[in-house]
Amino acid sequence: MSGAILAATDLSRRFGKIVALDGLSLSMGAGELFGLVGPDGAGKTTALRLLAGQLRPDAGSVRVMARDPVREGDAVRAELGYVPQQFSLYGDLSVQENLDFFGAMFGLNGAEVEARSEELLALTRLKPFRSRRADALSGGMYKKLSVACSLLHRPRVLLLDEPTNGVDPISRRELWQLLQRFAAQGMAVLLSTPYMDEAARCHRVGLLHRGRLVRCGPPGELRHSVGHGCYWLEDLPRQIAEEVLAQTAVLTRVPQGKRYRLLVRRDGEEALAQRVSQAGGRLTPTQPGFEDLFLLFTSEGGDGA
Amino acid sequence: MSPAGRSLRRTLALSGKELRHIVRDPRTLYLALGMPVVMLFIFGYAVTFDLDRLPLGVLDADRSPESRELVRAFESSGVFQRAWDLSNAAEEAEGHFHRGRIQGALVISPGFGRELGAGREGQVQFLLDGTDGVTAAIALGYAGAIAKAYQLRLLSRLSLELAPPLDARVRLRYNPEARSTIFIVPGLIALILALMMVLLTSLSVAREWERGSLEQLFATPAKRLQILIGKLLPYVALGMLQVLLVLALGTLLFQVPVRGSLLWLLGTALVFISGCVGQGLLISVLTRNQQLATQVAAITALLPTVLLSGFIFPIENMPWPLQALSTIVPARYFISALRGIMLKGNGPAEIWPQLAALLTFALVMLAAANARFQRRLD
Repeated sequence: MSGAILAATDLSRRFGKIVALDGLSLSMGAGELFGLVGPDGAGKTTALRLLAGQLRPDAGSVRVMARDPVREGDAVRAELGYVPQQFSLYGDLSVQENLDFFGAMFGLNGAEVEARSEELLALTRLKPFRSRRADALSGGMYKKLSVACSLLHRPRVLLLDEPTNGVDPISRRELWQLLQRFAAQGMAVLLSTPYMDEAARCHRVGLLHRGRLVRCGPPGELRHSVGHGCYWLEDLPRQIAEEVLAQTAVLTRVPQGKRYRLLVRRDGEEALAQRVSQAGGRLTPTQPGFEDLFLLFTSEGGDGA
Repeated sequence: MSPAGRSLRRTLALSGKELRHIVRDPRTLYLALGMPVVMLFIFGYAVTFDLDRLPLGVLDADRSPESRELVRAFESSGVFQRAWDLSNAAEEAEGHFHRGRIQGALVISPGFGRELGAGREGQVQFLLDGTDGVTAAIALGYAGAIAKAYQLRLLSRLSLELAPPLDARVRLRYNPEARSTIFIVPGLIALILALMMVLLTSLSVAREWERGSLEQLFATPAKRLQILIGKLLPYVALGMLQVLLVLALGTLLFQVPVRGSLLWLLGTALVFISGCVGQGLLISVLTRNQQLATQVAAITALLPTVLLSGFIFPIENMPWPLQALSTIVPARYFISALRGIMLKGNGPAEIWPQLAALLTFALVMLAAANARFQRRLD
């Protein structure tokens, strides 16, 4: 994996009897925006903490610029920005005081902290709020401050644990623009998110389910890898629709308003189409999305193929 | 920036941040600076073990010059105050005891003066309310002393050249009036420090665990020792401020002496405080939870300091298992050293064993906390 800025090999971690992460392997290059997508409890936070060296793996290894974050912690932390999921700044300190504090922690001198916090405050548009206490910020502003605090030392790798969780849509878009900008400048950005719609904005996506990376690749490729037919079922009353759909070829069905969204095994498409037209309904093919892909994994217990 | 400069800058930034937490949460400050004052007033004015004007019932059935002289001796001692004149019956004294009007009764039977005049034994009865054993024991001691002095006066008057066989003159050194405030203040300093230092430091680190800010702090290259020292430093300073506050008030309001070197006193306090913040840190590292940390701090710091340090209850009077347990209570050595320095004017030559014990405690606590404090979340 030459050129990999961040690499994980067979990374596993258990807590008691619960296997939180089971054999995660991934590799990222400079300028890449990687999304680790999965539902709550899939192991996203554990994965990020292991990558950041905040947890020790039971098996496998992490390399950040060819260094081990557990054994060479300080060297790795100097190249790594980490934004934890929970509120982790000091609520009773102001925006500027938080920046000053973390700047000192990263070993910057006063002039460096001043110049870089100016830059980051301008970038995150937090300048007007620099003297506001952190716990008086909105969810989106707080996240932006959190990101700013972890960028003071100009890391080459940025890890963010569910940065858009609890953030309003406008701030969310702003946050994404920032992350895309950092990646364009050559930073390796890895984030986790439970929102499928966000996966499309990443260069590469890893689907995490029950501690395992079940799929990994560019979003477009992943969508096409579904390998099943995706349809809208319309014009059928609920009860009749349920009867028509009660067969093994229908892998997922999600009622959405009066319609159903379906994933159907290729070998059962024809039979289903017949039954639907007999019942007087309409079946329209559509493009599979991440949500379909994900439902497939969760409904089949992670097998997916 | 040089590594040393960076290290110093990190430590100071952490201390500055911690100081801001303290200043911006007035409750901490009220607690840290208000509590010593309140406690000093309570112990200085209200809780005192000195006896002063204990209400005394007097039944003088003799009414002779001798009996009146004895009653006067009791009154003029300052320890007892003639509160009720009992007419005759012992039941009357009982009634007053029950209502709490008197705590002692002096009963002189008829013929007391006559018997004395004839050179025989005069009988006097002294009753005490034993409900409060401590007060009763002290009052009994005083009553005995008053009677003895009266006896000596009588003897010298009666038999001219017959000097009493033994003339024991008891003199209390270092605290001649046996004022309990003087004795209490050193203990109070230890109690306040043990409680506040352990509690505040354990809460401060446990709060960062709970809030998750340690996760962000751990993501920086700050070293473990820089984090620990930076976080503890402001609390050590706060502890020294408390010592100075109690000392200043103690000397101004209660004339508590500092006969030894103030520098050694502060030095000893610094060692004790270091042990306390180490203990608080260890608690928070092990509990990672504010509520649990508070409980553990109360049990491991407050209780032993009140009960097993010799602050109120003399260690010599304890059963041996408690005496043995008290040897690991740092406040025991601190109080003993403080009393030595403040009352006896002791210096390093006398207090080194206590100082060595305190230093050992501080090193063990800080080393244990440092060993258990991982720069990781697992």
